[in-house]
Amino acid sequence: MNKSFGRKIAIYAVLTFFTAVIALPLIIVLSSSFRTPSNMQSHLKLFTEIDLQSYRIAFNTMNFPMKFINSIITTGGSVFVIVVIGTMVAYPISRIKNKFMRWLYYFFVAGLVIPAQMVIVPVTQMFNTLNIPETRFTPMIMFITCSLPFSTFLYTGFLKKIPVELEESAYIDGASLWVRLKDVVFPLLKPAHVAVIITQGLWIWNDYFFPMVFLTKSKFYTLPLGMIQFLGSKDNPAQWNILFAACILVVLPLIVAFSLMQKKFISGITAGSVKG
Amino acid sequence: MKKIKKWFDSKSLIFPNKMYWFIIPALLMFTVFWILPIFQLFRYSLTNYNGITNNFRFVGLSNYKFLLRQGTILNSSKNTLIYTIVLVLGNNILALGLAILLNIKIKAKGLFRTIAYLPALFSPIVVGFIWSYVYMPDSGLIASLLNAFGFGAINFNILGNYDWAIYGVAIVEIWKRFGTTMIIYLAGLQTIDTSLIEASRIDGCNEWQIVRFIKLPLISASITINIVLSVIYGLKAFHYIFVMTNGGPGTATNTLMYQIYNIAFSEQMMGKASALAVVAFLVIITITIIMLIFMNKREVEL
Repeated sequence: MNKSFGRKIAIYAVLTFFTAVIALPLIIVLSSSFRTPSNMQSHLKLFTEIDLQSYRIAFNTMNFPMKFINSIITTGGSVFVIVVIGTMVAYPISRIKNKFMRWLYYFFVAGLVIPAQMVIVPVTQMFNTLNIPETRFTPMIMFITCSLPFSTFLYTGFLKKIPVELEESAYIDGASLWVRLKDVVFPLLKPAHVAVIITQGLWIWNDYFFPMVFLTKSKFYTLPLGMIQFLGSKDNPAQWNILFAACILVVLPLIVAFSLMQKKFISGITAGSVKG
Repeated sequence: MKKIKKWFDSKSLIFPNKMYWFIIPALLMFTVFWILPIFQLFRYSLTNYNGITNNFRFVGLSNYKFLLRQGTILNSSKNTLIYTIVLVLGNNILALGLAILLNIKIKAKGLFRTIAYLPALFSPIVVGFIWSYVYMPDSGLIASLLNAFGFGAINFNILGNYDWAIYGVAIVEIWKRFGTTMIIYLAGLQTIDTSLIEASRIDGCNEWQIVRFIKLPLISASITINIVLSVIYGLKAFHYIFVMTNGGPGTATNTLMYQIYNIAFSEQMMGKASALAVVAFLVIITITIIMLIFMNKREVEL
């Protein structure tokens, strides 16, 4: 009894320590974001001032509403296309059993290890060759492409667990191939859709690299790209409170989404790993 | 011809060859924007292409020779490997340890899991800003804490230290990935049948033996996936260097990916950037293959 009590205390001590390490930077960011920009006292004095001036400046400098809408369009559009063409490509891969299909599977999945920065030079060149104009949709092409290895991998794993008998009976009932994919298989893949939407949506919403490379007009900028303009003010201590407010503004939509769908987030993360 | 037909034919009524049409959109995008560019890398790496004019010429292997002579290849490969090793070890040991602790029935488990996961929601650029502040000399979080506890004499500046900067950056990525990794380990641990644990306890196993001989082998799939993911993320090291150090001090945190980006977009030397990308490609492929062979072997042993 005594021994297990001591062990519990030790466990809680370790957990408290790690919680502090993880949360302390976040708490300080939150506390400092509520200070006026000129408040330069030690950041360790938490929540000594509650003021929205830093937020107002950050909101206006980065033109939050427009970037927010661009982020929504980019993320929503890319994820929608990924779900559709990811299901489409994984369906034959999981159902047709021959060498070509196995090879095609490895062909896609091998893309998981290739970093975007590695191919960015020829990719921009490819965009020039194909004369793809700069619009808010340009980075979406790369988001969708880069997401294909993971989504193919995940959808194929899930599809292999769906019994073929369901489709056989639909076939006997006269359902065409397209109808079977759309009305039988697609709804059954719901856990996979959740995993793809959460993991890929999170990455696309947060990514600044592709927008940074492909977009020059600030009216197309997404939220993370809006953060880049603060890069220069990192060395100026007078800017930190505004910078922190900008950080909170960019993260806020995801915190809201996460608190509304915590269960889905957790199952989304684990689905990808368990199927592997 | 017959052989090709045999290769492709689905041999099924329900899943006819018509299904191949479903592949087209994904295959087209993936080939045009991902596979062809990889092949292009090899071509550009032999030219003096600068990204603006199209009348570049072939210069043979001089790009590679230049990068080798400058020590760029060796330095950035070394930094990438250090970053990867620190990330793989730090992330997995911490996450696995805490997942095992959390798996014992205790209160506040959900709360800790939520807090640990929070950094995963943050954009790398936001994380980079937050940690720029944490590491800032004099007035940053760590420096202020040292001051408050009376260690003000220590001049804390990890990102300005030639030897330690790369570890400082890797710690940031551990901070961000820790929660996700732990959740994957927790999910693995929860699949273990409790009767197995009880049986081993009756047989007289102590806590360490239960972890080592029952739990770890049973979650080997989670261990594999987490190590593979950490290696992949480690080899892709870019974001925190871009936001926090710009490769500095000197070249101490120049990883392969940051160096490629820097040569291509700051110095406008696309040929040299492509040459380094080819080297990075070979490094990544080699490590991936070694990792796959090693993982296959280990899973059988366990």
